[in-house]
Amino acid sequence: MAELESDPAAEFVIYTHLDPTGDPIITLSGELDIAGAGSLEKAVAAITAEGPVRLIFDLSELRFMDSAGIAVLVSATKNVDAVTLRNPTVVVRRVLELTGLSEVLPIEP
Amino acid sequence: MAVTALLVGLVVTAALVLTSLAVYNRNERRLLKLRVRELSLVLAATVPSIQTPLASAAELADATGGSAQKFRAFMAPYVGAGRQFSSVSLWPLGTSHLKPSAVLGGTPALESMPNRAKQFFTHSTRSGVLNLTSFLNSPHPALGFDFSAPGRAHGFAVYAENPLPANRRSKLEKNSAFSDLNYALYLGHSRRSGDILVTSVKDLPIKGRQASDVVPFGAGVFTVVVSPNGSLGGTFFKDLPWIIALAGLLVTLAVAWMTDRLAHDRQRAEDLAGILDRVAAENRDMYTEQRGISQTLQHALLPDTLPSVDGLEVNARYIPAASGVDIGGDWYDILDAGEGRVLLLVGDVSGHGLSAATTMASLRHAALAYAALGSRPARVLATLSDFVNSKPHTYMATVLCALINVDAHQMTVASAGHLPPLLIDGEGGQFVELDVGPAVGVSNDARYQERTVSVAPNATLIAFTDGLVERRGEVLDIGLARLRDAAIGPRLSLEDLVSKLARELTSEDHQDDTAILGVQWLS
Repeated sequence: MAELESDPAAEFVIYTHLDPTGDPIITLSGELDIAGAGSLEKAVAAITAEGPVRLIFDLSELRFMDSAGIAVLVSATKNVDAVTLRNPTVVVRRVLELTGLSEVLPIEP
Repeated sequence: MAVTALLVGLVVTAALVLTSLAVYNRNERRLLKLRVRELSLVLAATVPSIQTPLASAAELADATGGSAQKFRAFMAPYVGAGRQFSSVSLWPLGTSHLKPSAVLGGTPALESMPNRAKQFFTHSTRSGVLNLTSFLNSPHPALGFDFSAPGRAHGFAVYAENPLPANRRSKLEKNSAFSDLNYALYLGHSRRSGDILVTSVKDLPIKGRQASDVVPFGAGVFTVVVSPNGSLGGTFFKDLPWIIALAGLLVTLAVAWMTDRLAHDRQRAEDLAGILDRVAAENRDMYTEQRGISQTLQHALLPDTLPSVDGLEVNARYIPAASGVDIGGDWYDILDAGEGRVLLLVGDVSGHGLSAATTMASLRHAALAYAALGSRPARVLATLSDFVNSKPHTYMATVLCALINVDAHQMTVASAGHLPPLLIDGEGGQFVELDVGPAVGVSNDARYQERTVSVAPNATLIAFTDGLVERRGEVLDIGLARLRDAAIGPRLSLEDLVSKLARELTSEDHQDDTAILGVQWLS
């Protein structure tokens, strides 16, 4: 189920796989803005279509995220009960805090 | 270009051909002169073979008193078909009636012409040399040779005759050293056809390239004229000019063709470049026009004029993204809430494009409606969130809502995921502390917390969207600090301050649109 999509213009890369417990993980790297939001939306839709209970976004490699990217993460919560953000960088973490999304999108660890 | 190449090629070819022709001609002339000289020498070398037998016979006649028997015996080997002479006769001189005393071979032509014989032997001949006479107009043309021993006044003359070919035509043998020449041999210095002795050509005189020489022959001379029968220097040199002409012509045509092709290709490339330039210019124009339309539309969605409120100055600015034709989703509004109160709204719909803009328009009007109902900021945001969540949607929006009591110098602020406004007073600048709730459209039943803060006299409040502070690779706090540093300092009019922030904080290539809304207490 591993697949790789890339958008070289924005240096934004999406990598989807399963963690050891079988939950899907979407690893994002580079910069997520309006240019990459569309492909991320498709990747998320492909995974939520299988009806997972949990969905993890690994944000440890994501250097930047704007409101368009946040909107995609938020929209995932409508189809999956537990959406978790893993290891966001400081830049992304502050965006999440300032936009009041920490409760909707819990951050771990 | 191709015509030029063709002309240059032809001129060069012609020059080469002319040069090689000139060289060839000079060479042929030089060779021909050498050949005629050789021929002349060969002819002159035949004199002894004629003179020697005749001289010996003359000496013999003198010594034997003109013995006819001895004369015949001596000359017999030289006379007859295929031999040196066709007729030889012995003529005693000094008599009044000249006639031969002995004849071998055919009767000499001279014998039938007594006057001619007398004239010839008494006046024209010299002793000790080979004398010549000719019968060129006779039906049997012939050449006569005479020799008499020197020093004897009344001695004997030995006379020989050889017939000439009837039409004077005689070709040289093919294997002869001179088979590459046409020739004409004349008697004396003349070149008249009447004096022709023998020739290899049908029509005299010889035409074209020729060379001549005078051949001393006994007491007389011959004139020999030759022309090349073909090319003396060899056929290669004769053909060389034509080979050069043909090769030059082919090269010229090839070069002209290639030049034409290159010129054609270049023209095509230039045409193509022209088309590309035009398309690029059209695209640029269309892009500019479309961007203009987008911005016009965006402005149409934002308030034309802001309400004037007693005791408060208001200013706003919308800065579209530097590139792209997308309409943004940023908006702002100020609403007179009555009783000296003003409701302030700043929002940012996620995404770009027409759908974000129409969503923005819809949210903006919904927010205005809730605000007009007298709702407080937290209530406005909650209602707006419910409004968004009431139907399926794929967007979210951050909204800041502030209710300002002008005279009381107080304001109540609530935020749906929006960045805090900056409050500037005599103490400096600080961001209003907020209990930030989720952006509208994110979670059902979202509820928001208000904060009420006091405002110093003459304070300034700057609300904005994230385009003003957000930079790639940078924590948001740095952008916020940059905004605060730019906003404090020497006090400016609100309009100048908003202009300054718009100018200094939006880079030339900023990719997000930005809204700035400022209010300033006048007391």
